Formats: sequence, structure tokens, C-alpha cells
Amino acid sequence: MEFNQVVGTRRSIRFFKPWRPVEHSKIQVMLEAANRASRSMNADYTRAIVVHRDDLSGETRAALRNPTTTADLDLAPTYILWYIDLEYINGAQERLNELVELNVLPPSHGWSKAYVDDLVWPQVLKPIADIPEVLMFMGAVETGIAICNALNAAVDQGLGTCLHAFTAADKVKELLHVPDSWIPVWLQLVGYPAEEPEAGGQRPRRPLSKLFFEGDCTKPWQEDPEVTEHLKREGMIQAPAPFPYRAQEVRNLSRMFGLPE
Amino acid sequence: MADGSGGTHQELEESPSVQRWLQSPGLSSAPEAEHAALVDLLGGLCEFAGKGPDALVTECLRTTKSGDRAISAKGRRWAEDTIEAFVATKGFTGHQAVVTANALRGFLIHNGIFMQGPASIG
Repeated sequence: MEFNQVVGTRRSIRFFKPWRPVEHSKIQVMLEAANRASRSMNADYTRAIVVHRDDLSGETRAALRNPTTTADLDLAPTYILWYIDLEYINGAQERLNELVELNVLPPSHGWSKAYVDDLVWPQVLKPIADIPEVLMFMGAVETGIAICNALNAAVDQGLGTCLHAFTAADKVKELLHVPDSWIPVWLQLVGYPAEEPEAGGQRPRRPLSKLFFEGDCTKPWQEDPEVTEHLKREGMIQAPAPFPYRAQEVRNLSRMFGLPE
Repeated sequence: MADGSGGTHQELEESPSVQRWLQSPGLSSAPEAEHAALVDLLGGLCEFAGKGPDALVTECLRTTKSGDRAISAKGRRWAEDTIEAFVATKGFTGHQAVVTANALRGFLIHNGIFMQGPASIG
């Protein structure tokens, strides 16, 4: 699938084919996509645990259940539990120096090993470890970027996926042996969609001019209609929800799985 | 019904919470017989719980310190347990039990109580 099509086709999928497992290779692609995501300091902010519904103990499945995701957990065959590892700052000095050696952080832009060793590490980065708000903020932003890559990699491979709130984190931590430094972020469900991949059409979004600006905040971004048309042809902008048969689709899926209507 | 019993079929059907449920997009065009069966099922739950339909909804709500309406986790758990216990008394198992319990959850869902039951996946 082309990039524009992937971005345009991504939806939060809530009806999965519970009988169809996700290939291990496809999950690996998602994890590699996450691992290739942009990240400051080349730090390892993100951790994930992949679990398969049918391999989980009854206790673990029960721990993951909550009043708002029970049906989703039954339908999706694979879950990825995403975490921030708050120890990401450890090793930042070595990683930055590695990037200096690789000319990724070149002298042309002011970088040197002396700068890393004498200034950036001791005065900027090391102190971050003692500022929980900054530590959490950076971890959340960078982990979100990694998860976004994994979402798009799932869509690219014909999978459905959806992010859910992570509840019962303490119990899950105990059952899955999660280290103390890991902070839960999202529970990602993965499977083959039982609903159409378009899931009733593209969700409403506000126009670019309401959200983005050029120059300063008094000047809304002006859309070029030709670009907009190009993106429609490429599949980033798709037919909006609701498709005329969406209500019937949801009704039939609900009946198939015995869910409330 | 005001004292907590299920009431007659007609009383049940006319109560605001039941009307909200039956007029929801997924059920409004359903055949009359389906509506009747759902109301009878709900009536059974009301009798079992000793509460009218509106009271079932109220049981799942609480008022916050700032005066807002919120879902009561304790109340919702009570409703979940009551639905499961009621379905068990009917002797249902497997798919039929899931469908029946989820039909009753639908009543609460359409009255603003966010909840999910299990899916029947065979």
C-alpha cells in the first residue's frame, strides 16, 4: 500500500475476526516500524509486550478486562502493551557520542564529543532524570511517535488495529513481570477486521485552516485545492463517514458476536 | 413499579428509560415482536433485581462533589453481576447467555451507562 493510502485508510477498528490469528511476521514488521521511529538522543523510550489472546492465562485475561474494553479483547487475537521506559536517559551520553562519530550530529551543526561530554550530558540531559514531568513528557511524546509507526505498519499489512486505555496496570505488571521503570501508555489491539477496513468511512476532521497556521497564529493555513484533489486520488482523503450501509453493518456484526445493539 | 417491582408490560414499555432504549437507532425499526420480547426480558431482570427500569439506570450513576452526573463503578459492577446472575437463573449457557446478557446491557448502554460485555466468539 502506498504511504498516502495507509494514512488515509487507518481507522480505529473495533470488530475483529476472532478466529483469524495475526502472523508473527506481521507483528515483527510493526515492531520494526516502531523501532525505526524518530527519537531524540537516539534513546530507547519505548517498550512493548506482545501477547496473544488464546495464550493468556485466565487470570491475565481477567486482569486486562474492564467495563469498557471487554468485547474488544474477546475479538482481537493479539494485543501489544506499549510502555515508556523511564530509564531511557541512561546511556544517552554514549548514544550521542556514537551519533557524533557517525557524522549524524556533525561539527557543521556545532556538535563534538567534547560538547556532549562536558555540556549536554552533565548539564542538560543527566538532570532530566530528576525532573519527573520532563522525563514523562519526553517519554510520552517519543513513545507516541513509535506507536504511530506501528499503527500505520498494521494498516499497510491489511490488519485492523485500535488503541485502548490501559487499565489494571498494577495487576498486569505483576502477571507479566513488567519492570518498575516501565509506565503503561496504550493497549493496542491487532487483528483482521471483521468490519470493512474503511469502518464506515473516514472520520470527520476539521479543516487545516482551523488547526494550522503559516507565519503566525493569525494566518490560517491556506489549502491548495489541487493538493487536496491529489490527496483524494491518492487515498489520504477518503469518502467520509457514514457509508449508507454502516448502521446495517454494525447491526449485523453485533448480531454475529452477540453484542448489544 | 415505583416501589421497585417490574410492573406490567405496558408500564415497563412506557417508562422513559425503556422508551429511550427502544427508540435507539439500532432498535427503532425492529419488529414489534422483538420489542415485546426485549421488554419482557427486561421485566424479568427488574423483578429479579427488585427495581424498576429507571431505578436500574439510577443505580449505575452517582453525583460528583461538583454536582455532575457520573457513572458509579460500584453501581455498574452491581448491574453487571445482577445481569449475569439473572441470565444464569434462566439456565442459558454459551452464545445464548452472552446474547441475553448483552441485550440487557443494551438497555443500560442506551441510557448512558458505558459498559461492554463479552463477545460470543465460539
